[in-house]
Amino acid sequence: MSALLQAKDLQFGYAVGMPFSQAFDFALESGEVVALMGENGCGKSTLLKTFAGMLRPIAGSVAIEGRDVHDRDLGYTMQELSKKVALMRMNMVPPDRMTVREFVSLGRTPYAGIFDGRSAEDEKAIDASMNLLDVQGYAARPVSELSDGERTRVYLAEAIAQSVDVLLLDEPNAFLDIPRSHALFRTLRALAAQRGMGIMVSTHSVEYALKYADRIMVINGGVVKVAAASNAEAEGILDWARAD
Amino acid sequence: MRRTLICFGALFAGVLVLFVWTLVSGPVEVSLRDIAVAVFNPSSAEPFHAKILWELRFPRAVAAVLAGASLSVSGLCLQTVFRNPLCGPYVLGISSGASLGVALALLAGFGFGAVGVLGAAALGAVFVTQVVLVLASRFKNASVLLVAGLLVGYFVNALVNVLVAGANAESLQAYVSWGFGGFTRLTFGAIPGFLLACAFGFALVLVSMRYLNVVRMSDDFARGLGIAVRRSRVLVLLGSSILAGATTAYCGPVAFIGIAVPHLAYMLFKTTNHRILLPGVSLCGAFLALLAGLFPVSIPLNAVLSIVGVPVILYVLVRGSRQGGAL
Repeated sequence: MSALLQAKDLQFGYAVGMPFSQAFDFALESGEVVALMGENGCGKSTLLKTFAGMLRPIAGSVAIEGRDVHDRDLGYTMQELSKKVALMRMNMVPPDRMTVREFVSLGRTPYAGIFDGRSAEDEKAIDASMNLLDVQGYAARPVSELSDGERTRVYLAEAIAQSVDVLLLDEPNAFLDIPRSHALFRTLRALAAQRGMGIMVSTHSVEYALKYADRIMVINGGVVKVAAASNAEAEGILDWARAD
Repeated sequence: MRRTLICFGALFAGVLVLFVWTLVSGPVEVSLRDIAVAVFNPSSAEPFHAKILWELRFPRAVAAVLAGASLSVSGLCLQTVFRNPLCGPYVLGISSGASLGVALALLAGFGFGAVGVLGAAALGAVFVTQVVLVLASRFKNASVLLVAGLLVGYFVNALVNVLVAGANAESLQAYVSWGFGGFTRLTFGAIPGFLLACAFGFALVLVSMRYLNVVRMSDDFARGLGIAVRRSRVLVLLGSSILAGATTAYCGPVAFIGIAVPHLAYMLFKTTNHRILLPGVSLCGAFLALLAGLFPVSIPLNAVLSIVGVPVILYVLVRGSRQGGAL
């Protein structure tokens, strides 16, 4: 295993005076799934945006394969970065009239030329990710008419079509039933194992985190802690989640 | 895929037929044969026929094609950028700007020298659009810009109203007649200028194809796919305003096409891909404009467009939504 994404002395947040956390170091390895946990408003989504290069950190840096994700001069350009990292979020408004296949096809945008054509290779990647998420059955339906669960899988298919190394997911199982949630996490495990992706997924479910993640990152009271999933309870980083 | 080809084929044929029809229709009888002679064998043609063809009917047909295509592309782009199906070329203050230019020329008596009323319209459109674009570069959120564009439009319209209130009857009539819109104002000599402006506007839109296809989701989503959102937005808005501004300058304010044709194209082509939609709306717009231009000149163009066009588009929308097309 080697580090795909590396955060150094990272402090993230929206306002300089109010970082969500103390400075911390973190490395996301190729082939691993890391669960990101913490209370509502602790900054999980903000951290994922910072990792994805969409939000500048207050201090410190984030690099993918050694190149900075926020510095447009020395690090990645926007287009290069979009071939490396994808952030899948559920809070997007489904576009009118856009079909499932058209939407998944958007994932190939970083690889398209100036007129946004799709090569045979692109079409193959689109088909493969649609098959992987089992959405080819409603390829021609408008995304806006899907159920939340179906939409989750379509959004994930789009992110996978992007063929990135680092996949970040913001509460992907928020709208999924229990069997679909298990299936989703199994898919993430398979992607990490087969494609060597580094996957970071925020979730509120301790059960899925313990069962499917290699490591668990917790943001609690402005402190970021990471532990192996097998060791998380022993180290006490999940204590905040207990009901009692 | 088959549907797309059939639609393109039918529309292209339709535009071609209406173009030729425009050349042979008018108060003076000029047959298809006379037209052919005037085009392919000018030396043996009746000078009278050639004059009617090149000075009246050909510019009129070209104006309809360019105006229809430009307004439709402009409308499509604005609806996409603002994610709002009610957007048209007017939201950026383009038509109010042109109106202001013309009002200054006709009502307030500013000469504008050699540029004339056309130039005044163009200058007004460009100026007001620039104001809105400067605002655009300051806002991260596209819907704030929409509000800003509408506000600027109100402001400029109020200025025009002040000019209208103080104008004498003669110049007021000239102003009102410009406001009807029409394809008969374009002269043969002005065609290259109009064409060039349209080509430039189209080019700006075409190089932003990737942006147009992904921005429907959200600006952040587009950034995640490697799109330089702010730069692309300025390019598209600039292109759209050039297209609509040039059309307004040469043909007056032409309502309806810009807002309605994109919806027609969605229904016909059943796609949201701008690779297909951009040429699709161009053909649809050219077709509708040519059709409207065939009506007698005594009926104002905007009236024809709305009276004939609105029922057709409503029918298409209602039928489309019954078939499960989402609107």
